[in-house]
Amino acid sequence: MSMHRRVLTLVSLALASVSAVPALAQGPVVLPIADAKARVAVEREIARAAARGLPVQPLIAKAMEGVTKQATGERIQVAVASAAKRLEQARTLLAPSTSVAELTSGADALAIGVPGAMLKQIRAAWPVERSVAMPIDVLTELVARGIPARHALEQITVLMARGATPSQIASLGTSVQADVAAGLAPDAALEVRARGVMSLLPSPAAAAASAPSGQRRP
Amino acid sequence: MSEGPDLLIERVRSTLREAPGTVPDPRRVAQLLSVVWESPEPSALRRWLDAWRVPSLSGVGATVVAGIALFAGFLTRGAVDERRAPEPFAATGSQTGEFPVQFASATLGETAPVLTQFVLDDAKAQRVSLVGDFNDWAAGATPLTRLESGVWTVSVPLPPGRHVYAFLVDDTLLVTDPRAPKSGDADYGREGSVVMVFAR
Repeated sequence: MSMHRRVLTLVSLALASVSAVPALAQGPVVLPIADAKARVAVEREIARAAARGLPVQPLIAKAMEGVTKQATGERIQVAVASAAKRLEQARTLLAPSTSVAELTSGADALAIGVPGAMLKQIRAAWPVERSVAMPIDVLTELVARGIPARHALEQITVLMARGATPSQIASLGTSVQADVAAGLAPDAALEVRARGVMSLLPSPAAAAASAPSGQRRP
Repeated sequence: MSEGPDLLIERVRSTLREAPGTVPDPRRVAQLLSVVWESPEPSALRRWLDAWRVPSLSGVGATVVAGIALFAGFLTRGAVDERRAPEPFAATGSQTGEFPVQFASATLGETAPVLTQFVLDDAKAQRVSLVGDFNDWAAGATPLTRLESGVWTVSVPLPPGRHVYAFLVDDTLLVTDPRAPKSGDADYGREGSVVMVFAR
């Protein structure tokens, strides 16, 4: 085997190994915003967010949403800047949570008009190691269906305290969705569906007895 | 020096001894042996390459292998996170009439992606793709398949949570899902559809 051929083979296999890791094959994100000035501004906004430790994926998605919706460059720029601001607010309100899912959910809730203090209340309802992304998503959805935020928060935090799983809380959101689509008043739908989920949960005494000490509530 | 040259000398000697009808020229043999003996010790890289027992490729072959590898890497870029075990899923949404239909994982828990089916009934469309916060609203990233009935469909694994999406028809027309609730859009003023995904 000649030295030349061996080196060639080695180089080919090294390239094959590198390209087998798809993440390494990705180049920098190029935003297809036609307005060059707006594109630079958006990319700077995303870079600033990254420098502040915020997740950039939701911001890229927000910019791409604008592109797909054929928004002007200026509007995309404003939307991305607003999204970055909401992500930062969510991070403060949900501290110490830092997961992308939780921050994104928090930012979406703020975008739809959920008061920031309610995000704090949801964060406080579960131990910090447990993600509150789903309860926040359900709160957002219930508010989007026309239920007053305070009423929705009350039902969700009661379910959280009673030991409902994220899926059980999510099922509340989808059931209310379906009921409202079928013509039921949003408040009535929430009340009846919350009762339904509650009936699946153990009694407060049993939940308190079986919960880990960090989850027990006075 | 190591055993290598001694073995080589022995092989040369035995070959010369076994050669029928030939009388080796002692001077030539001595010259050959001295060249072998005095040759410089190969570098560490050379010894490592000599010890390497993998068939070599020609220049064209190596180029082809590298090209295929790069192409495969390009095609699969960004796909690592989405590769989750798709089995075993059980359809649960279809019985309740909920759309988009979700196929929940029975074993992967609350945070595992849930296979979710999207459907759009548009027999006149030439192309339909799904865009949403789960695929960065990338047009063409998630194309739907047209069935003979004219119904378009695609199933994608989505992380649990609330997702906003729409259908992009013929690369230009953004339409909401008639089967799903609507989502407002303060940023761009064009509403989308909402799906709540969770393990059932």
